[in-house]
Amino acid sequence: MSLDAFKNRNIGSQNYVPVNIENYPTSGWDKFKQVVKRGVGKELFVGLWVVLREMLKFKIHTVQYPSEVLPIGPRYRAVHKLLRLLESGNERCIGCGLCEKICVADCIRMDTRVDENSRKEVVEYSINLGRCIFCGYCAEVCPELAIVHGSRYENVSEQRAHFVLKDDMLTPIDFLKQQKEFSGFGALSPNADQLVKKTPLAY
Amino acid sequence: MKLKKEIKFFINDREVIAKSGETILNVARREGFYIPTMCYLEKVNPIASCRLCLVDVEGSKGSILSCQTKPTEGIKVRTDSEYLYKHRQNIMKLYDVNHPLECGVCDKSGACELQNKTLEFGINCQDFSIREPHRQIENWGKIQYDPSLCILCERCVSTCNQAIGDDAIELKFGGYGSAIVLKDKTSQTLECSTCGECIAVCPVGALISTDFKYSSNAWELNKVPSVCTHCSAGCEIDYEIKHSSTLNHDAKIYRVTNNFENSSICGAGRFGFNFANVPNDEQNAKNLKNKKFDEVVNAVKKANTIIFNSHITNEEAFILQKLKEKLKLKLVNHEAYNLQKFLGAFSRSSGETLPNGKIEDVENADQIVVVGSRIIVENPQVRYAMTRAYKKNRAFISYMHPVYEPLLNNIVKQHIRYEVGTEEGVVALLSEALIGQVLKFDLDVGYVSGETNVGEEELARIYQIGKKSKKRILIVGSDIIAHEKRENIARFLGVMQKFSNIKILVVPEELNSFGVAKICQLDEKATGKTVGYNITGDYIISALKDIGHFSVPALNQQEGTIIDINHKVKKLNVAVSFNGQSLNDIANEIFDPIDCREYTIDRTRDIFNVDFDSLENIQIDSQEIEIDCTEMPNEISKLPTFDGTLVYNSRTYLEFNPFSAFDKNGKFNYENNLLIGSEQFATAGKIADGDEVEFEILGEKFKRKFKIDKDMRGVIALNPIFDKNLKAYQLSSSYKFQKVKIVKVAK
Ligand code: SF4
Ligand code: SF4
Ligand code: SF4
Ligand code: SF4
Ligand code: SF4
Ligand code: FES
Repeated sequence: MSLDAFKNRNIGSQNYVPVNIENYPTSGWDKFKQVVKRGVGKELFVGLWVVLREMLKFKIHTVQYPSEVLPIGPRYRAVHKLLRLLESGNERCIGCGLCEKICVADCIRMDTRVDENSRKEVVEYSINLGRCIFCGYCAEVCPELAIVHGSRYENVSEQRAHFVLKDDMLTPIDFLKQQKEFSGFGALSPNADQLVKKTPLAY
Repeated sequence: MKLKKEIKFFINDREVIAKSGETILNVARREGFYIPTMCYLEKVNPIASCRLCLVDVEGSKGSILSCQTKPTEGIKVRTDSEYLYKHRQNIMKLYDVNHPLECGVCDKSGACELQNKTLEFGINCQDFSIREPHRQIENWGKIQYDPSLCILCERCVSTCNQAIGDDAIELKFGGYGSAIVLKDKTSQTLECSTCGECIAVCPVGALISTDFKYSSNAWELNKVPSVCTHCSAGCEIDYEIKHSSTLNHDAKIYRVTNNFENSSICGAGRFGFNFANVPNDEQNAKNLKNKKFDEVVNAVKKANTIIFNSHITNEEAFILQKLKEKLKLKLVNHEAYNLQKFLGAFSRSSGETLPNGKIEDVENADQIVVVGSRIIVENPQVRYAMTRAYKKNRAFISYMHPVYEPLLNNIVKQHIRYEVGTEEGVVALLSEALIGQVLKFDLDVGYVSGETNVGEEELARIYQIGKKSKKRILIVGSDIIAHEKRENIARFLGVMQKFSNIKILVVPEELNSFGVAKICQLDEKATGKTVGYNITGDYIISALKDIGHFSVPALNQQEGTIIDINHKVKKLNVAVSFNGQSLNDIANEIFDPIDCREYTIDRTRDIFNVDFDSLENIQIDSQEIEIDCTEMPNEISKLPTFDGTLVYNSRTYLEFNPFSAFDKNGKFNYENNLLIGSEQFATAGKIADGDEVEFEILGEKFKRKFKIDKDMRGVIALNPIFDKNLKAYQLSSSYKFQKVKIVKVAK
């Protein structure tokens, strides 16, 4: 299935096929008849035949994880990422601390300071994934779309710390080109422009 | 008096009673009615700049400002109505015009009154606009001002002027371009005592502390209520703490705040909090009985004298006293010893154990005389009370000290610079001027006036004002307590307290001089092997980081009590932990089992008969004592003369002792270790600005950089008392003026 089809949540426009299900037998005699029919009738052998046929054809129908990975919905809430601004490469996080405040598991911590240009700089940012419940509040509250949920759901490493320090979450500067404008959980809705009321300007 | 009458009136149909002098807002707040305000501050006169506090009065046209209007009998006040809500909403709309949308990086966010009220009145968009002029962020040293965030409420200006007295900032009018500016237009930096109160009272993020800037969001900090330890006022403060960093969980103090609505603190208290101690490397926290600990216990056991100063709690003082009893050693604390002698003579003359002045008496006085104290640094709280007295009652303030103090010019009517060392004569003259002739001998006014350099016209003025004044207070400071003739001076003061309505307020410089003087039996001189407690000795036990042989917790790392200048017992709490042993642990190794206590604060019960946790509102009352005959002051013998160049071992505006001299990164601040003198001093000592100089005081050698201060006068230079080797600090507990020979160090 393509990503577009996955993202389409408008019921009715997808090609769903209604499944016809026969009525279940109700009386004892009818139930008995069904069991006998399925047990010694054709149905058992049909199933066995299909398995045998596919085995002989070497056609594999399961996903070959981990060499093959299914695409995941953009609104899936896995391990966080810290994004950069696409044009300048600057870090998006301004250190407002709203994520730290809203986090229900109290698992976000950050250190801020004044940098050389007297701006607020976030020197360290960490999420304790052992406590995070992946609720997505942090991503939703972030005014800069800086902290977002990524799609990395494989939480395997020698150390928990490998996921959660700023360096691990921040888009490396040389990977900036690969960073996509985030459209998942916490992002602006597509019609955001229409919802904004502009401040009148005096000039 | 008619004014004292109570006034009955109604707020939202409920009958309330206003006491004399109360405004509608005061009564409403007391009775639990909510009236929004933005510019109101309890500690200064109503500013009346925000107009949010408008209320309706039935039957009268238009609305009135509740913050400055006193009620009249029977009026019916409404604090909320459709109209008032709209009116307040409009004000908020105006405040929000072009206000930068930068809460995300504003230190005030979360504690911002503009943010709160914008939310309260539901302002979510800006319907009109105005062209924004270019506004520049100003850097005033420890204080930063951002005019684009300023809402021009004028709280900072009023506080600086009416509560502090520095009067260093003002409002520059200019319509939409109005801003807060320095009063001294010739200066780029803020030349004030740097109390930081303007930061505290600013309702928005316009004035912020550059030390604190961007280090934490307000809501992440936890408050630990405690007491400032830098002077004898013992102001109530909150240490605001949080983990040190993402990866270090130990608590750290990020800033100090106070209840700015009705109290003020000084810069030493606000910015000098980073003095938490760490144990020496060899002091293993896990294993109490290690080599280093044996070393300190042995050092105390072998000592003949323990030298200390009054920068300690009552509990620590009590332990030292017990150590003295157990080990038969000497206990030396010059400042507290002098205070004991002073108070002894004082009570034999006055018939009471303690002087009767309180800080509140200063605030309500209409004549104030300060003698022998550089009050602006020795106890800023008393100075703030003087400011309020001047602003409220136009009190007549005479400031008598050898060193000219330019910052007091706003409130002091009489600046009298007496000759160094002649305090005895000065007080004798004052007693004549203030209470008239009650002495047993004839004071040779002409001679004493000549020697002290206190003019007879000046005394006549003090006498004239004294006749008119109902509430008079005489404030005496550390130069009097440390003076050789302290006992005779105390007798003059005791007689004044006894025979007149003048109150006497004694202001020692250190935190807990009254506590130590009450608890310890002190000796005059040290002998043999000495152990220094926070002060130099052969073996030094110290609460100062990186100083001394054995480290003990600093005063923000332990619980304990102190006695302030109002003789009130106050509690210190733990803001930051200390993983090592304290004086109590050392003492427990030495004491008999019956005197051992698990924790230091278990000794609070031994001192005050209540447990530390339930201790509240203990006031040490003055007692009348039986005296056969009042001890009268003796005749004044020849007054000493100090000629040539003098050095004054003094605090600076921000650094009160070595503890306050740690910067925000916990580094000891040497930079300010200058010798500061006037141009006249430079000429007399044949030195120039920036020269390295050497001098010797009572056998201690000092090396300082000389700096000329244009505001200073005379041949007295200030020698700041916060050395790393504690020598100058130690000197500050004796008489602070010393004759020196200044030698220029050849480059
Ligand atoms: S997803 Fe929820 S629990 Fe996890 S860090 Fe964000 S706010 Fe906290
Ligand atoms: S909410 Fe966003 S911008 Fe604010 S601190 Fe968190 S990540 Fe940074
Ligand atoms: S002053 Fe208040 S409203 Fe203005 S940016 Fe700062 S926090 Fe926000
Ligand atoms: S700086 Fe702060 S306190 Fe001063 S006028 Fe502006 S908003 Fe008010
Ligand atoms: S130094 Fe004195 S006046 Fe200043 S805050 Fe501390 S106790 Fe108060
Ligand atoms: S509180 Fe009354 S005008 Fe501001």
